[in-house]
Amino acid sequence: MLDLFDKISESTAYIKEQWNQTPKAGIILGTGLGSLVEQIDVAAAIDYANIPNFPKSTATSHKGRLVCGTLNGLPVMAMEGRLHMYEGYPLKEITLPVRVMKAMGADLLVVSNACGGLNPNYRSGDIMMIEDQINLMGDNPLIGINDDRLGPRFPDMCEPYTLSLVDRALAIGRKEDMVVHKGVFVAVAGPNLETRAEYRFLRLIGADVVGMSTVPEVIVAVHSGMRVVGFSVITDMCLADALEPANVEEIIRIAGEAEPRLTKLVMGVLSEES
Amino acid sequence: MNGKLPISERVQRAADFLRDHFSSLPEFGIILGTGSGVLAERIQSEHQIDYQQIPNFPVSTAIGHAGSMVCGSLEQQPVIAMNGRFHLYEGHPLDDATIAIRVMHELGVKYLFITNASGGVNPKFKSGDIMLIDSHIDLMCRTSAGTSVPVAHGRPGMRADQYDREMAELSRSCARQNDFVLHTGVYGGLLGPNYETRAEYRMLRRIGADVAGMSTVPEVNLAAKLGLRILGLSVVTNVAKPDVLSETTGQEVIDAAELAAPRVYEIVRTVIQHFAA
Repeated sequence: MLDLFDKISESTAYIKEQWNQTPKAGIILGTGLGSLVEQIDVAAAIDYANIPNFPKSTATSHKGRLVCGTLNGLPVMAMEGRLHMYEGYPLKEITLPVRVMKAMGADLLVVSNACGGLNPNYRSGDIMMIEDQINLMGDNPLIGINDDRLGPRFPDMCEPYTLSLVDRALAIGRKEDMVVHKGVFVAVAGPNLETRAEYRFLRLIGADVVGMSTVPEVIVAVHSGMRVVGFSVITDMCLADALEPANVEEIIRIAGEAEPRLTKLVMGVLSEES
Repeated sequence: MNGKLPISERVQRAADFLRDHFSSLPEFGIILGTGSGVLAERIQSEHQIDYQQIPNFPVSTAIGHAGSMVCGSLEQQPVIAMNGRFHLYEGHPLDDATIAIRVMHELGVKYLFITNASGGVNPKFKSGDIMLIDSHIDLMCRTSAGTSVPVAHGRPGMRADQYDREMAELSRSCARQNDFVLHTGVYGGLLGPNYETRAEYRMLRRIGADVAGMSTVPEVNLAAKLGLRILGLSVVTNVAKPDVLSETTGQEVIDAAELAAPRVYEIVRTVIQHFAA
């Protein structure tokens, strides 16, 4: 576990050779939301394969590049293509890029994901600001001897997502006249989608949406003292009593449709950062 | 840590080493968690052995846990007590995390006292209260399938949450006689190491947990299979209020532990006295 610190330094040193700026924010782009990258004035785009200690992405519709540059003048690092637990990566590997973002100087993590809607008041295509999370992945990226240089042994999780940023996003949603909810994201390991009984269970324990990512990265971000803002795009509704088979093309289409709205929202939230 | 030896061999070697430190072998085993300070002080220690010195023992990494095995006596009865435990969040495999239970069993321990600190989920609980563990919910996601239990001693197929009813009743009676609050409830075991989010506290409440913690469940699951009689005491160090943002402070935990410590001692002492041969 204590070798993690050296791995982070090694990855950071490599990235600094290509791009020697201090990012204000690190961004993780989820399924079908990659086109936010087009808004970035790219200074360097580095394949994960070339960055020491970075794992390679295997998921469909995901590339695997770290894009560094400026978004509306704000220096950012964006992960184009994210890594999932169901692909077989250990959580420590999945979350290493977040540690690297922090080491580069980013104090804000922006995460986005596609998810299934459990709250019956939501509609497919809606955006939800993640207000809180439930970890049902059965694992945790912080297991092992704690390296105090990286964060505390027992991080407090009373506000994993910075609530003032949730409010900021909701205000932008109102101003731009688009539906933006706030709710609870529950993460499961996957990769199978949930059964109807599992959807009922997840709703019962208080989740509004369900997905297979985000929670490990957010735990690590909180551990390392970063602020976090999380955006979920509801790409299909998972209502246990009116469930239809999932259609991957449809999910990607809906994520694509939500893209301009999500981009506007992310840009809006970041425009008030300096 | 000699991970290559089979678990039975490691247990044997550790037990052989510890056996020499007792004039008569203990029937009472104790795991000293947060809030058991007074109990630890009252054990008349003959030998205090660092875990590093015990052959094939893992080494504790948790903050505030010393990591030693106490061989001594309480109420004139020989006892073996773990001062510092092994948590799954430290990265110990299940067999390492629970090895002391097997060793205690090998030495002849029949009664196991487990203490821990937990976060209150039940809004009726107060910081410093003690809860008798009636049952637990295993949310630690670490299966014990494949870990071998010596069937000759074990009771395979037995329910894992076998907290002993007689020991529980003795504890409740002790609390009444000494006029302090002892709740009975359900311990939710989580992997950790991060504290729970507000959404997770709400989940725990809805599924029936009264307190939440990051220990005890692996030890109890194994001890029950080995046929030990178990008493679990949980010191509530803070009560989660998921609808009000509040951070857990270290001081809160220490205050609660100080309040509970003499009571934990009183319960354990009373129960040992009852079963003393």
